[in-house]
Amino acid sequence: MTTLLKVDNITVHYSRLAAVRNVSVDVSEGEIVCIVGPNGAGKSTTLLTISGILSPTEGTVTFGTKNITGANPENVARMGISQVPEGRHVFTALNVEENLRIGTRMRRDRGEIEKDFNMVLEMFPVLAERKRQSAGKLSGGEQQMLVIGRALLTRPKLMTIDEPSLGLAPKIVDRVYEVLTDLRNRMGLTLLIVEQSSERALKAADRIYVLRSGQIQLSGNAKDLRDGEKVKQAYFGFTEGVKHVGEVAF
Amino acid sequence: MGYFIQVIIDALSLGSLYALAALGIGLLFGVLRLINFAHGDFITLGAYALIVPAYGPNAIRFVADFHPVLLVICTILIVVAIALISEFLVFRPLRYASAATLMVGSFALSYVIQNLIIMIYSGRPKSLDLWSVLTEIKFDVSGVDIALLPLLIIAVTLILMALLVLFLKRTPWGVQMRAAAEDFKMARMLGVRANFVISLAFVLSGALAAVVSLLFEVQTGILTFRMGTPLMVFAFIATVIGGMGSLVGSVVGGMAVGVVSSILQAGLPPEVRGYRDVFVFGLVILVLLLRPQGIVLSRAARERV
Ligand SMILES: Nc1ncnc2c1ncn2[C@@H]1O[C@H](COP(=O)(O)OP(=O)(O)O)[C@@H](O)[C@H]1O
Ligand SMILES: [Mg+2]
Repeated sequence: MTTLLKVDNITVHYSRLAAVRNVSVDVSEGEIVCIVGPNGAGKSTTLLTISGILSPTEGTVTFGTKNITGANPENVARMGISQVPEGRHVFTALNVEENLRIGTRMRRDRGEIEKDFNMVLEMFPVLAERKRQSAGKLSGGEQQMLVIGRALLTRPKLMTIDEPSLGLAPKIVDRVYEVLTDLRNRMGLTLLIVEQSSERALKAADRIYVLRSGQIQLSGNAKDLRDGEKVKQAYFGFTEGVKHVGEVAF
Repeated sequence: MGYFIQVIIDALSLGSLYALAALGIGLLFGVLRLINFAHGDFITLGAYALIVPAYGPNAIRFVADFHPVLLVICTILIVVAIALISEFLVFRPLRYASAATLMVGSFALSYVIQNLIIMIYSGRPKSLDLWSVLTEIKFDVSGVDIALLPLLIIAVTLILMALLVLFLKRTPWGVQMRAAAEDFKMARMLGVRANFVISLAFVLSGALAAVVSLLFEVQTGILTFRMGTPLMVFAFIATVIGGMGSLVGSVVGGMAVGVVSSILQAGLPPEVRGYRDVFVFGLVILVLLLRPQGIVLSRAARERV
């Protein structure tokens, strides 16, 4: 498998504070990779650095053969990385169709856009019914479908998604993951997903990385880690039986 | 009855000028969070574009003598070019600075433009007659003369607002601007070019300023290096009471400020009429005390809460 995205040893600062230190993540074509970790671990920071919203103080990000470290977000998007950020970020000033179409403006393959548009509407019939409605009127689950559809319509080579389950009922989360796995299986879309729930990640991913306190604690094939013990340790930073004060139980 | 109509038309015409200026400010605030205090100077430059750049005491007509269509196009092109140059030289380097820094940048730009005008054209006011026939044509309504110009100002404003709405709602560029105004980072992550939408906002803002220049110049017939400043001040107040970041708010605020000023002008007893602006600003303070977010709550303001 060829490597599509290579995050190599990046360190990212918010003014003085290093939110992420020496993090490396690889994603191969057609893979589903999950980054899991507790709140504040640096997961969002990592994704925002990949999409060019943040610049690393050290390290490089390579996409395909191109070095995209510090590139503009619009250029990263144009190269084929589409990010669904944390909190979804639908444009409430725009209706559902305008939201879906906004990312198609940069596409060169004009002829394919309508086909993709119809495919997304078929995939998410709720969106088809509410094409003309303000995107702000959709429920949380519908908004999640909208932003996934919107990202898909840029026809990305890689889609990154930050906590797709945030604030959604478990049944809807199941549906979101069904859609995501389906996209990979049917269209070969490569996915980098950030999740807080390691169970969810272990179920969906081919490989996972555990991030805590800005550093990668563990990485490996989801299959090998499926029993969850090692992941739990890396996630919370304690070995069995020795719980540190202030840490939440699993 | 006729007098009443006259007051209303004057009020709406003044409100229209403020609304147009406020839209120019609101557009830039929307995408850039920039409060552009140089907007008044863009308006001034549009009027000065009509004459030959020369220091002498009299205005030497230049663009002012063009065919009206060409005159409007030239004035708009000149102000748009100045707006784009300002973006490139001043605001682009400050792109990631705080809103306060951007605002200070706009003060500096305003100061530079005013002093360039003084250097090139001199600081003396120059009279320039432009289409004064518009102020001379009058209709008789119930025994009171209503001039054509205020009606024209209102009509032009309505047309421009309709065009702006069509642009923002119906064109892909307009959709990109609305998206960027709501969530700039997300728009960029979907391939919307930051430089492009910001330049587009400056183009629209500059074009609106140019139209205000012409309407205002026809009305006053005089050029001064600070002629745009009071318009900018009232338009800024309009955007604040209308609700920063909402274009509808800019228009509502502009109309409100214009209408209140005109009605006070007509209704205040003569002894205190000279202090009209005290009453206007007093009302502004009252509005802000009652509704600190402005009359129309914008998405941008809501998001910040
Ligand atoms: N805009 C910001 N300014 C300063 N610090 C931030 C900012 N965003 C996140 N951080 C800090 O960086 C660390 C990592 O945050 P984040 O990447 O959002 O974590 P996660 O997505 O894993 O919850 C946290 O300690 C957080 O407080
Ligand atoms: Mg996060």
